[in-house]
Amino acid sequence: MTFGDSLPFMRCVAMTQRKRPSSTQSSSQRRHTGNLVAQDEDDDATFTQPSTSQVQRGLEKLTPAQVDQKTAEVVQYFLVKDQKKMPVRRADLVKHVVKDYRNIYPEILKRAARTFDQVFGLKLVEIDPKNKMYILVNNLETPDKASPVRSPSNPKMGLLLAILSVIFMKGGVVRENLIWNTLRKLRVDPGEKHEEFGDVRKMVTDEFVRQRYLEYVRIPHTEPIEHEFRWGQRADAEVSKVKILEFMGELHEQDPKTWTQQYRQAHSLPNSSQASTSSSSQR
Amino acid sequence: MKRSKGGGDEEAPRHNGSAGRRKADQQQSDGDEGGSDIGPADLQDDDNDQGLRREIRSKYRDLISSVQQNREDMLSPSNNKLTEVLEEANKLFKDVRQAREAALDAQLLVVATDLGKEKASQLFSEGTAFDPTAFAEHLLSFMGLNRLEDDEDEQQNTANGYLPQDAWHRLARRAECCFRTAPSFHYMMGSFYAEPPPPKQRIERQRKAPSKEAKRIMPTQLKKMEESQQEATEKEVERILGYLKSYYQDDPTSPISYYEFVIDPSSFSRTVENIFHTSFLIRDGLARMYLDEEKLPCIAPVEEGEVEAGGSTSRKQCILSISPKIWKELIDAFDIKDSIIRPPNTQND
Repeated sequence: MTFGDSLPFMRCVAMTQRKRPSSTQSSSQRRHTGNLVAQDEDDDATFTQPSTSQVQRGLEKLTPAQVDQKTAEVVQYFLVKDQKKMPVRRADLVKHVVKDYRNIYPEILKRAARTFDQVFGLKLVEIDPKNKMYILVNNLETPDKASPVRSPSNPKMGLLLAILSVIFMKGGVVRENLIWNTLRKLRVDPGEKHEEFGDVRKMVTDEFVRQRYLEYVRIPHTEPIEHEFRWGQRADAEVSKVKILEFMGELHEQDPKTWTQQYRQAHSLPNSSQASTSSSSQR
Repeated sequence: MKRSKGGGDEEAPRHNGSAGRRKADQQQSDGDEGGSDIGPADLQDDDNDQGLRREIRSKYRDLISSVQQNREDMLSPSNNKLTEVLEEANKLFKDVRQAREAALDAQLLVVATDLGKEKASQLFSEGTAFDPTAFAEHLLSFMGLNRLEDDEDEQQNTANGYLPQDAWHRLARRAECCFRTAPSFHYMMGSFYAEPPPPKQRIERQRKAPSKEAKRIMPTQLKKMEESQQEATEKEVERILGYLKSYYQDDPTSPISYYEFVIDPSSFSRTVENIFHTSFLIRDGLARMYLDEEKLPCIAPVEEGEVEAGGSTSRKQCILSISPKIWKELIDAFDIKDSIIRPPNTQND
């Protein structure tokens, strides 16, 4: 795969209509969905993963250029969705981008993953095998110190780091009041509008949750209703517990090993900063 | 499981904890066996005493809320408050007869066990404990908090100091090392904009606009000034004529020195204004200037009868100039202490 492969992607500024591929494809689709109208439904249940032989047959009917074009469209869709760090649902991807090529969907996703890896240094990660959601994660090693490139930093990441650190150091689950109290000590009051973050409560319980950085779950039997925070799937894939522990050590001027449980947890997993691998193993 | 007969309604037997307690209590509290020997009448009274029921329920609610409100306090391993709450609940439970109280008892148990679980987890964690408060303090220092030296307000620790503008950015940069975030995709140069550059036109318009406005403003101001100037000048001229006449009438025979008349020893600019206004009087023929024996200029009002419109008398023109230096010399030479023409109150210098 060369840089030439990324050219079709560069050209795709707008998703324009193309000629539909040959009509023999629609018969295989009808087998899955029952009728042509049902193709427009975004209900993931109607999308059954095509088998390898189906993919093979589908590929034979298309030109390489067509497949490359479709791959490029998928890549661009992901890159744009990733701007806001929202995960991509397979159903949306199939409905809006893959469309008629859904019978070779696994092949397209595989090629897209390869593009991300080789061209962009990114990793396509499935964070939710059940609901089929994907995110993009940086495949390159994180620098030890701050990056020499002076790109504008997002202060929300600072707040997120504080929250994730507390959750991790407290064993992975905390009641929401602990987070709110800690934030208040950091001069961020969830009840007031913060000059940097605005509506803090909404940012933490809604935005971060939708981005899958945090999980905000109701605790049963609590009156008044209380929630607890955990790490979200994106945090599991993106954030390094080892690095967080190092940061804790710096802040408290202690050896990270003094937090034995957390140290053990951080170093136990072989890929302590990553979740499941990319698309080729998906169901 | 033994139950007092008089009660008759279902109770907490579903909850193992409270049932177990109840057995123990019943064996202890009731003097007789399992309560079944108490007469039905006594039991009925006890059961149906609404006041007692309410009291019990209210006490349970107090206990529950105290556990919920003082959660952090009770979590601390330094006290036994949770045990005290449970002992209190045990005492209350002896009097529980109806479902409502028992339900509250169950609720208290849920809350208490939850707290107990958390306390237990504190016990079992090895290694150094993690204190979120200390963490917050360290984080504030990391973000560059400028702590103010304040000996008096030691209680207001939270309000001490202020965070710099880029506090959260500092933390965000540190976070970049811990996160493997994919950099966001954005076109480097933005999107392609094919229209001819309108900004230039806009700039021109902007430049023109202020000058037009400025021009527009100036005429109005000038008009105002002219009007006020005209009025002011006329008024001033009349006023000065008044001074001239009154001074002349005091002593018609002695000539009024022009310099003494116009000069204001305290203000050079007013002196110049006086000269200016006096010149109007002369132009209009209301006053005349002449030279006395010593060739010094004098000024006198023109009598009513003497005024001739147009004037066959030869008109002479002269240009006066005065500088601060000459002004001071005149003041010294003529020893002018006061100004004859009183300065007007409203006019600005």
